Amino acid sequence: MIISPKNISYFVLFVLCFACTEPIDIDQLDEASLDSSYLFTLIHLELKAPNFLDDFNQEIPVTSDIISIPGLDDLHPYLKRAEFSVKTENSFDRNFTLNILLFDEEQNLIYTIQPVITVPSNSGELIHSLEIPENDINVIYHTRYFGMYMSLWDSDTGEIIDVSDTSELT
Amino acid sequence: MRKLILLTSFLSVFYISAQNKQVLYDFAELPQTLLLNPAVEFHGNFHIGVPGLSQLSVHGGLSAFSGYDLLADNGVGINDKIRDIYMSLDKTEFFSFNQQMELLNIGFRHRNGNYISLGYYQELDVLMKFPKDMIDLYYEGNTVLNRRYSVDKLAAQAELLGVFHIGISRKVGEFTRIGGRVKVYSSVASASTKRNTGSFYTENGTDNIYSQHLSHVDLLLETSGVQLPSDIEVDQSYIQSQFLFGGNLGVGIDLGFTFQPKEQWEVTGSIQDLGFIYYTKNVESYRVRGSYELEGFQLDFDPSTPDTYWNDLKDNFEKRIVTDTIQSNYMNFRPTKLNGSLTYSFGRKRRDDCTFVNRVTPYTHKVGAHLFSRLNVVHSYVAATLFYERRFGKTLSTKVTYTADPFSFANVGLGISARAGAFNIYAIADNLLGLRNVYDMQSSNIQFGMNFIFGAY
Repeated sequence: MIISPKNISYFVLFVLCFACTEPIDIDQLDEASLDSSYLFTLIHLELKAPNFLDDFNQEIPVTSDIISIPGLDDLHPYLKRAEFSVKTENSFDRNFTLNILLFDEEQNLIYTIQPVITVPSNSGELIHSLEIPENDINVIYHTRYFGMYMSLWDSDTGEIIDVSDTSELT
Repeated sequence: MRKLILLTSFLSVFYISAQNKQVLYDFAELPQTLLLNPAVEFHGNFHIGVPGLSQLSVHGGLSAFSGYDLLADNGVGINDKIRDIYMSLDKTEFFSFNQQMELLNIGFRHRNGNYISLGYYQELDVLMKFPKDMIDLYYEGNTVLNRRYSVDKLAAQAELLGVFHIGISRKVGEFTRIGGRVKVYSSVASASTKRNTGSFYTENGTDNIYSQHLSHVDLLLETSGVQLPSDIEVDQSYIQSQFLFGGNLGVGIDLGFTFQPKEQWEVTGSIQDLGFIYYTKNVESYRVRGSYELEGFQLDFDPSTPDTYWNDLKDNFEKRIVTDTIQSNYMNFRPTKLNGSLTYSFGRKRRDDCTFVNRVTPYTHKVGAHLFSRLNVVHSYVAATLFYERRFGKTLSTKVTYTADPFSFANVGLGISARAGAFNIYAIADNLLGLRNVYDMQSSNIQFGMNFIFGAY
């Protein structure tokens, strides 16, 4: 009889003897990485003439704002690079320079995101790309404050901004 | 740490599976088959399982990929393999894990011919379904504008419980048997999340370049026995009490029938775990719901205004996306299993052994088909099996199965049940073709047990 208890026992032994594995390499998990990209919307602004004038309607050369943020340590060591897209539109008859600065817990300046942005006078929509490269990314983990510094260039004609000027910098 | 997490995920492939016991179903008159169909005709007068060893079963399966797909040492880079696995994923994938350990299984034949069986087993059951949208968001990020990443298909259920049961198999006609089993569940710990809705997407903004949305989010995670009061000491006696009716209680039933339209043909069917658990103790649930739109901080460049941007954002978010911790009771239905089979027996009938009872002795060969379905709000699936069963007198029975299920279309299983006097031992395993490369198995199913069976023929 082909199917007998003895033959079944042989079959089971045969199956077990031939149970095998192909080679695997667990260490290759060290090389595993995911290159995901995430978009986050961060800040926007809408600056008008009074933002660049003091109480006596004198121009303020540098207008700034600072945002305190929670620690970003949780991103360590997964963040490889941070890119920033800044869209500007300027209807003032003046140039501006925008610096984005990073400060640590004690509000010491630790990094200036490059390049510094120049916003030409009477410019339409412009997209500027900034980056914290892989070599500098560690500054992100120490950052507790983002600073936005808007510098107003001197006028070529010596004119100053009028408080009733309806121009905008966005 | 990351390696450990990845390795744990990989190893889990081998310990998770479906809950289909296609080899055990209606096999060799083992008393454990009564747990799959309470109507099965048990060929014995009395049985008792070896306590703790009468049934030990572990089932496992992951629908998405195998450990070998990820870790094969074949010269292909790990990130290429991850990419290949990612590209092969379906809209939803799932994994399930089920482990049972029988601590008591005893049965006897009543004078009226009914067979009464009762027992107790511990069970750990996990089922999780994850939508590809979430994997896409994790793997690729959110750079595709207007793409909605939905959590609608995210669902999971995990339960650790003890089950006491008592059942009866009764002949109600010349060719018909029916059976029923009542179960009392005692849940030690449970966590479940179902009927989640909502999506996340990014689109072009009006005030800013992008606008990001959490749209109509409604997530609910219900737990019991997970968050415990500080005065509870989790020790052996506490765990025991939770398993033995001290946990959250529920009831359920199994129902079954067997019918022989002709002498050699048999139709069987059963429904298992038609019941629920009502959670009243150590209940803590979490609900997150709301909609939120973000276009970033509006900077005012006003030195006289204190910097409250982040806190304002946080407050606004918490106002719109509300997280509630709920202590109210809730109920979960047990995953219900359906079995159905059609069999044809043939071959030499064993001779009657001159007992005073005129017994119908089993045939030597049996072939048939078996359908299994698990119904659950988390995930439902079907498996189909063809099988051949062969008896060698009183001492040995074997069964070979071929199953198509969500994990494989070529799952070959084998069961062996041997008897020496009243002592019975059985072992069952499936996915034998996977033994060619154990790492490449997407599911596995192993059962083992020992019983003492008296009065069998």
